[in-house]
Amino acid sequence: MLGKQGDNEGGSEIQKALGEIEEVVGSDYVTDKDFMKAAYSRNVDPAFPDRWADIIVRPGTTEEVSAIVKIANKYKIVMVPRGGGADLVGGSVTQGGILLDLTRMNHILEINPDDFYCVVECGITWGALVSELHLKGLTTGLLGPGSGYSATIGGGLSNSTAGYGSTKYGLAPDICLGVEVVLPDPEGTVLRTGVAANKYAKPFARYGVAPDFTGLFMGDVGTMGIKTKAFLKLAPLPPFKAGRYYMLAKNDYGKVFELLKELRYKVGEGLSDVIVVPHPVINLQAGMAKHKPEKKPRLTGSVFMIAFEAFDQRVLDIYIQQVDEIMLRDGVCRSFELHEIDLDEPLTKDWQFNLEFAYHYFNRFISVVPGTISCTTCHKIPISYIKDGERMSHAFDAKFRAEFPDKSLSLFATVIYLLPNGNAVFVGGFSGYNTEDQQPIAMQMWHKKVRAQVRYGGAHYWLGESISQAIVEAGAFTPDFATFFKNMKKVVDPNCLLSPNKFHVHNYDEDMSRYEEEDEPYSQEPGT
Amino acid sequence: MAETDTKEKLKHLGKLEKDILQCISCGDCREATDYTKNPPKWGVCVARENSPGFDPFYGRGKMQIIRSLWQGKLDLSKDMANVIYQCPTCNACASTCYYGIDCVQYYEALRADLVDAGCGLDAHQAMNQALHEKLNPYDQDNARKMDWIENLGFDVKRAGVDTADVLYFAGCTAALLPDVQAIAIKTASVLRKLGVDYAVLGDREICCGSVAARTGDRSTFRAIAEKNAALLRESGIKTIMTSCAGCYRTLKIDYPGVLDDWDFEILHTAEFLDRFIESNGIQLKNLGYHVTYHDPCHAGRHVGLYDPPRRILSKIASISEMKTIKESAKCCGAGGGVKKAFPKLALDIAKSRLAEAEATGAEYLVSICPFCNRNLADAAKELGSSMKIKDLVELVDEAID
Repeated sequence: MLGKQGDNEGGSEIQKALGEIEEVVGSDYVTDKDFMKAAYSRNVDPAFPDRWADIIVRPGTTEEVSAIVKIANKYKIVMVPRGGGADLVGGSVTQGGILLDLTRMNHILEINPDDFYCVVECGITWGALVSELHLKGLTTGLLGPGSGYSATIGGGLSNSTAGYGSTKYGLAPDICLGVEVVLPDPEGTVLRTGVAANKYAKPFARYGVAPDFTGLFMGDVGTMGIKTKAFLKLAPLPPFKAGRYYMLAKNDYGKVFELLKELRYKVGEGLSDVIVVPHPVINLQAGMAKHKPEKKPRLTGSVFMIAFEAFDQRVLDIYIQQVDEIMLRDGVCRSFELHEIDLDEPLTKDWQFNLEFAYHYFNRFISVVPGTISCTTCHKIPISYIKDGERMSHAFDAKFRAEFPDKSLSLFATVIYLLPNGNAVFVGGFSGYNTEDQQPIAMQMWHKKVRAQVRYGGAHYWLGESISQAIVEAGAFTPDFATFFKNMKKVVDPNCLLSPNKFHVHNYDEDMSRYEEEDEPYSQEPGT
Repeated sequence: MAETDTKEKLKHLGKLEKDILQCISCGDCREATDYTKNPPKWGVCVARENSPGFDPFYGRGKMQIIRSLWQGKLDLSKDMANVIYQCPTCNACASTCYYGIDCVQYYEALRADLVDAGCGLDAHQAMNQALHEKLNPYDQDNARKMDWIENLGFDVKRAGVDTADVLYFAGCTAALLPDVQAIAIKTASVLRKLGVDYAVLGDREICCGSVAARTGDRSTFRAIAEKNAALLRESGIKTIMTSCAGCYRTLKIDYPGVLDDWDFEILHTAEFLDRFIESNGIQLKNLGYHVTYHDPCHAGRHVGLYDPPRRILSKIASISEMKTIKESAKCCGAGGGVKKAFPKLALDIAKSRLAEAEATGAEYLVSICPFCNRNLADAAKELGSSMKIKDLVELVDEAID
């Protein structure tokens, strides 16, 4: 297999492949120039070293992707697909091999306002799609990850991303009705999943024709196939929206759980987003404000940022009233304004929906101090576990403080984001400097922290390379599951060429358990 | 290659060292489409949209190349220059960057290092050589800058000979290229009709040096700036007005960066006329035209000049705005040395912009930059478009009795 780190052989094979790919896509859209490789050598993280692909290609059609896959199989060259390249976990770079930049495939092919679905090429960004849809009174509901200005639909599906709208509409796979995917097999097989597997059917639904093979390509971090088109569920865009903020009277994560549960029971559909900003983070945000108020605000606990939506103003008002009753009852919370800590933030009465909040809110935590970048550890937990999760995270940080990168800022959650049913994301991480001396330190801690989270039952997304490997290292998979996983991959990728480092599936002969790592205990078990 | 060796070659980037690692590679500068922004943003980088589109064609890729160069992982090359220069330095990436990285400053420093390493583009080298020798980038006898003045049919004051409140700095494009000379002529006409006390330099006018600054020939730029400073100080003028967006940015932003005591007031014609019309209660005739307005990047995103031209236009015509305007406006594609070295790319970008203009249904596409004007007119010609490409002053001249 060509394209592995340290591989200096096979240069002529790479050159042959390059020539053949050039015949497929034309010379403008494929390159092996060093400065191009350098430009594609990183994602958004401080831990991975620069990695240079051998070939970078920008295919324009599914047929071209399929032809590239055939060439890669012919010469046994590894491939990594890349969407917006805003990946936080080393998922869309490769040392050697072929990097497929899929952002040229960025067209909306169909918006069906009658049957509420759309067909898009997977290289379109969330921002571009959402902007077109909203102007037509439609929405995907989920607006994509915090990097939605540059992140693509394909990347969002590959990472099962959450994001703005997730409280009501769920994760990216929840809005996916099927995909067109190029399998990484020697034939470059092209499949359509969901109801679109019925060659006579429009892609209007996900289930019914066959087993849910769409799921095979959701959250696969580009290991099972190269998604070229997505069929997405649409919903009418509720025209009435509002935002409210509440601050807990005490810093109590048990209370956070109780309130989330009550909101879920009593308000339901009216909540488009429930985001809890933990107490330390609201303090941090206050400190980071460019224009601080003269009077120092009293910040007693975590802040709930709640976005509402409805099809009627009267209904919206009722939703707000219901939430007020829950949040303000017995002084558990008080109404809060972000303006209290940052004069640049609008008052609630002026609240307006905007994509900039959805796509830039998290940027402030990705690089709190310029030059540092966060090693993300975003993971889902049951809401009943929020208190324990917070405690475990702090216990971990305290125990292993000395092993973190220099001056690292570790946040168990920059926000706790309520998802459908009873789960929430701890959108957390710790910072490191993107310098060669600090990278290994950050990487080691990253794996270790994720292993700890996996072992307390956390379910990560944005798995990429670092987190998918750490899941395996934590021994999360039973032997039967690991075998099943590898067998499934072998069916679609017999030469093990697509994103081979992820999940430590470097080949099909190794036992995944060889990567398991023991870690020193750091806390009592949850619930004690 | 050793990191220290490369750093020695990166004299200009080295001056920005403290921020070189700031770009986290998020990629918002690629596209960042957002209908909720005011004004809405429909894409960012016109160079990427009209090129093969690999990362180095837009901000993130360039910033990662710069980082790799700085860390000694890459060397400067002609191949690299060939892509780095396919950027009109329109500043859309910087205006999108959440972290406020002044990307264009980095691109221009990289260009300067490429030039110093002998990797600059031949087309730019010839242009800057002409600038050095003939004081204009069009390789013409600078005395021809008298042509438009001689065609006026009335006398104008000569800076350095006569005293005046304001110097009208025509810029090389309007002064030397017949297809856009109307901009200089109509500016003079408008100023005369308004009774403004102004002077011109004529054949003594030296290029502002923008082309050298944008393409990385910093020694030529500095030499030109110093020549201009001496000439302008000698003229006794305090306010310089120009109808060129490129000159405007250069005189206003770049000169203070390289010259001590550069204390002239720099105004764009649109800015000057807007103030003059407002403060003197000048009545403009409504021409009944249907127009749309193109924001030149070097006046708009680089300096923030958005409203004065619109205020004037709204008095004389009905305006339909394009899909992308002001901070979100798409570039015409001519700047940053692109039209000189990559005329097809410049034309392709201009065609896209023209399509936006045509979608408004307007009959006039108005701007305030001879260089944009020229490139958009080239696109209109190529497409056989009936859109009339005009400078604001041409319409103002019509609107003043």
